[in-house]
Amino acid sequence: MAKEVLVMKDVSKEFKVLKRHEGLKGSIRDLFSRDYTSVMAVKNVSLTVEEGEIIGYLGPNGAGKSTTIKMMTGVLEQTSGEITVNGLVPYKERTKNSEKIGVVFGQRSQLWWALPLIESFKLLRDIYMVPEKDYQDMLELYRSLVDIEPILHKPVRQMSLGQRTLSDILAAFLHDPGIVFLDEPTIGLDVSMKAKIRELIKGLNEAKKTTVILTTHDMGDVDALCRRIVIIDEGQKIYDNDIDHLKNYFGSYRTLKLRLEDGSWHEQVIDENKTDVMHVIQETQKKHRITDIQLEEISTEEIIRKIYEGGKAS
Amino acid sequence: MKDIRKLTALTKAGITESLQFRLGTVVTLFGNLIYLALVYFLWKSIYASAGSDTVNGMTFYDTMIYLILATAIFNFLEMFILWDMSRAIQSGEIIMHLLKPMRYRWYTFWSYSGSHVVSFFLTFIPTFLVVMIVTKGAVPVGWNLLAFICSLILALIVNFNLEMLVAPICLYTESTWGVNIVKETIVLLLSGASIPLAFFPEGIRRIVQYMPFRAIYDIPLTVLLKKNGSDTAGGLSSMILFQLAWAAVLIIAGNLFWNHAVRRITVNGG
Repeated sequence: MAKEVLVMKDVSKEFKVLKRHEGLKGSIRDLFSRDYTSVMAVKNVSLTVEEGEIIGYLGPNGAGKSTTIKMMTGVLEQTSGEITVNGLVPYKERTKNSEKIGVVFGQRSQLWWALPLIESFKLLRDIYMVPEKDYQDMLELYRSLVDIEPILHKPVRQMSLGQRTLSDILAAFLHDPGIVFLDEPTIGLDVSMKAKIRELIKGLNEAKKTTVILTTHDMGDVDALCRRIVIIDEGQKIYDNDIDHLKNYFGSYRTLKLRLEDGSWHEQVIDENKTDVMHVIQETQKKHRITDIQLEEISTEEIIRKIYEGGKAS
Repeated sequence: MKDIRKLTALTKAGITESLQFRLGTVVTLFGNLIYLALVYFLWKSIYASAGSDTVNGMTFYDTMIYLILATAIFNFLEMFILWDMSRAIQSGEIIMHLLKPMRYRWYTFWSYSGSHVVSFFLTFIPTFLVVMIVTKGAVPVGWNLLAFICSLILALIVNFNLEMLVAPICLYTESTWGVNIVKETIVLLLSGASIPLAFFPEGIRRIVQYMPFRAIYDIPLTVLLKKNGSDTAGGLSSMILFQLAWAAVLIIAGNLFWNHAVRRITVNGG
């Protein structure tokens, strides 16, 4: 059995929020108010992650994804439950934990704004005490995966969003951390940059056996990278299994498209456990002449949407 | 100490980063000129109305040298931790700093160190040289320069830790501007940066004498100008000890307060 690098047991996070009142009167009242409501951002989530996995950590906006990531990295302390990352308790030993993890938070950058990328790399090499040989090997690996030469000597502030994200991901992997947390890394990027970044993440994961925990709203990321998916909604874990199982989660759905004699396409989503595709075709044929047939597998995106919209499914 | 590699790397990056904005130095020097012109005419009229050459034991000449060098030290020490930290907290950027494999306060100090090195060479040294040339040797040159450098480094440490002690207040008040103005005013007034401490009324001076602000401007300047017995071993060591003691107190207090403040971030998410 593979090594467990991250274990969460019944982790909950409760935020206290000051109740705000409306209007000027309400704002003045708020000055003296001690009226807090508590919000459960994460409820009893348990999770075990093994070395080398790429996990898609999904959920609608506000589901508690970022809160979970922050707890895993130690910048947030859980209200109850236990978390260990590489055998450490993140919030207690944040600094030590940071040595063995890498983090990319969507729109934030850990790079030195005014400096060329290579300077940021050297600085990170020294801060993380990476031996020179390992550093050179890592750069060599980077070169084999992406074309880094054009960006290496460019100041970060002059980079496009895509180049900056790419750089930030490279920076997060530089000290060869056991786990890398990627919080919406492909947000706002064009199709070709997304593809490049997916390839890079995949390549680094394979070469270094790095565990990757990826949150994203782009199902393309999930399809390209993740074998295992964890979905949370309203702070609760509602799915944790292979991506293949996901396709059968709501039943085995397929989309049947039939072209009729008048040239129009008729679409129907079919649950194969309940209805037979052939049966639908036969029924239609009784009334119309079918000129063309297409059968499409349901996309991950559609399944995820069903889960988000349907909340907790059976 | 293995840490040295981390620290020098941060200093070097800070130097490179500061040098990217070399135009800033020109602006600083220009701003100083305007400020010093103002100081010159203000004190000129103060001395004119006093009707004597020396006021509180300082000639006009002494006062000007003191204030010009205080301005140079101000440029050297100036840091924007309060602004940077509160902006980082509001934008959530602070997470990236908290996730560095170094303790936050330590990391912050060394991140700023490079810009101090740059401002020392680009604003302090030129100002100092100009004062030397114009006054034709009013500043004594000798061992006091070495003592001054030590004292200046301690001033830097005291100033940094004072900033780090005040900065987390923004977490509670959510107002950066107000806190910053209060801090700046208190430091500049009570440290001797805007008015030499000799001009303070006796009662107030006696209190200010024991406060940490003196350790930032007045002591390094006194050491540099060989005043108030700082040229004797006893006088010098008591001043350095005073700085050391306050540095220690502020480091401890700042640490305690920061540990409390950081829990506010890690418990409430900023």
